[in-house]
Amino acid sequence: MENAIVMKNVCKDFKILNRHEGLKGSIRDLFSRDYKTISAVKDVSLEIAKGEIIGYLGPNGAGKSTTIKMMTGVLEPTSGEIIVNGRVPYKDRTANSEHIGVVFGQRSQLWWSLPLIESFKLLRDIYMVSKEDYENMLALYRSLVDIEPILHKPVRQMSLGQRTLSDILAAFLHNPDIVFLDEPTIGLDVAMKSKIRDLIKGLNQQKGTTVILTTHDMGDVDALCKRIVIIDKGMKIYDNDIDHLKTYFGSYRTLRMRLSDDTWEERVIDESKEDVMDVIMKKQKECKIKDIQLQEISTEEVIKKIYGGEEAASDTSAKALEVAAVAADAAASSEEGGAK
Amino acid sequence: MNLRKRLALTRAGIMESLQYRLGTAVTLFANLIYLVLVYFLWKAIYASAGTDVVNGMTFTDTMIYLILATALFNFLEMFVVWDMSRSIQSGKIVLDLLKPMKFRSYTFWSYSGSHVVLFTLTFIPTFIVVMIVTHGAIPMGINLLYFAIATVIALVVNFSMEMIVSTICLYTESTWGINIVKETIVLLLSGASIPLAFFPDGFKTIVEYLPFRAVYDIPLTILLEKNGADTIEGVLPMFGLQLIWALVLTLAGTLFWNHAVKKITVNGG
Repeated sequence: MENAIVMKNVCKDFKILNRHEGLKGSIRDLFSRDYKTISAVKDVSLEIAKGEIIGYLGPNGAGKSTTIKMMTGVLEPTSGEIIVNGRVPYKDRTANSEHIGVVFGQRSQLWWSLPLIESFKLLRDIYMVSKEDYENMLALYRSLVDIEPILHKPVRQMSLGQRTLSDILAAFLHNPDIVFLDEPTIGLDVAMKSKIRDLIKGLNQQKGTTVILTTHDMGDVDALCKRIVIIDKGMKIYDNDIDHLKTYFGSYRTLRMRLSDDTWEERVIDESKEDVMDVIMKKQKECKIKDIQLQEISTEEVIKKIYGGEEAASDTSAKALEVAAVAADAAASSEEGGAK
Repeated sequence: MNLRKRLALTRAGIMESLQYRLGTAVTLFANLIYLVLVYFLWKAIYASAGTDVVNGMTFTDTMIYLILATALFNFLEMFVVWDMSRSIQSGKIVLDLLKPMKFRSYTFWSYSGSHVVLFTLTFIPTFIVVMIVTHGAIPMGINLLYFAIATVIALVVNFSMEMIVSTICLYTESTWGINIVKETIVLLLSGASIPLAFFPDGFKTIVEYLPFRAVYDIPLTILLEKNGADTIEGVLPMFGLQLIWALVLTLAGTLFWNHAVKKITVNGG
């Protein structure tokens, strides 16, 4: 299958001024040429096929937004190569932006004081969408969500959920090849979240749009993404199916035991190291167990383990340890680089 | 060059501006107070001068000039610097950079709608009132057409200056001080607060070649047919000065902005 996005060994460094403490330090900073380099993204390679929905995950500050900004052309990579729709995005940002759509979490690209329909018309003209395509897209929107109640409402009067929904619709309006969704479900209630997930899924299926989704909500990932990419400290640490993820760091299960005082005790057990029966037997010697439940580990638990970094790594598999060690090395070397 | 994109932005700008009817009314009211102040100030100046004509301008001439300058200011005033610094802080600028248009053109046409509205709601009413009150002190002829052309060029010059200051603010990361300095300089040297005729001779000669004059003084001089602007031979050099500055500032502003954007894209926004 053809690729929508190809990234090869992409790195991104930021140069920032070393700030000093206190009043004296602030005055010194006025004349300072003392910069340090921060590596936000380190040697990330990635291929994304057309029509895929990719979950792009990572803890806060991992380099997700930086990667997205490079893919959209707002940031230029320090080294490496990015091709989006056959174009180098930062070299031709304006042309690239005709074929992509973006939704950045809590910022809106809609015209604040105008009814939604006016923003749609404006975007239609800015992106040079033909009347026919525009009508077809609106018809598709109507079939996926109930847009009538919000279509004539000024954006400033919308609830957060309605606004996010509108922003997503606006991003798809010119039928882009790729849509970047940066935390689209942040701050939304459960019903709205599921509505938005259905919408994204529907648009992806109907239009074959490639979707890059960054989120902290594992519900989004479970509902939408087959493949996920995890980035931490600027490095790609996982890139595979979501099903693999659960077995990636050992085969985990959650054991819940109801004790004699009716409290539930929960333990995450790595079955490759420990036997579930042993744990139960051991516990039973201490006190009486009234009930037992055995659960598959949720995506959320796995991600929590990965984000936990070093401390989690020490008690999980050797693979994670390795990754953490490389990350620590890289971080140390980048600090050295800055000191020069 | 794509008119559909641009006019769509103008249209949206007009609709957005019309949402703030109360704001326009308050602006008109604030002007009234300002003009009362100007009236008494200049009345005092003329009284102490002891003659009817100061620097070749009668009291009525000065008042007409300043009232129209204020009206022009209301309509030409832009908030590019404020808006840009806000959108950089909130990160919204990324969304604007990702529109399928050059950022400069996108910004210019986004503001164009509000100019249309303000011209209609503040300048035209003021103009009509001045016209009626002064019984024909404003010439009515081809000068109106010249004035319209001069105003459009003034708009471009003003926008270019705003963009250049906005771009400087990208580097300094602070907005307030620089913007206040810019506003003071423009208001003083453009003739918006004191007619240029009142400046001392040497200083006046310098100011006459600076770009600020292209924003307020030239359109008003053309409208009122002063300083030889009552013939086409008098008007053409003024257009020339305006056009040269419009071109120079647009070019300089574009190059400067492209350089600054490079910095943002290289070093993070």
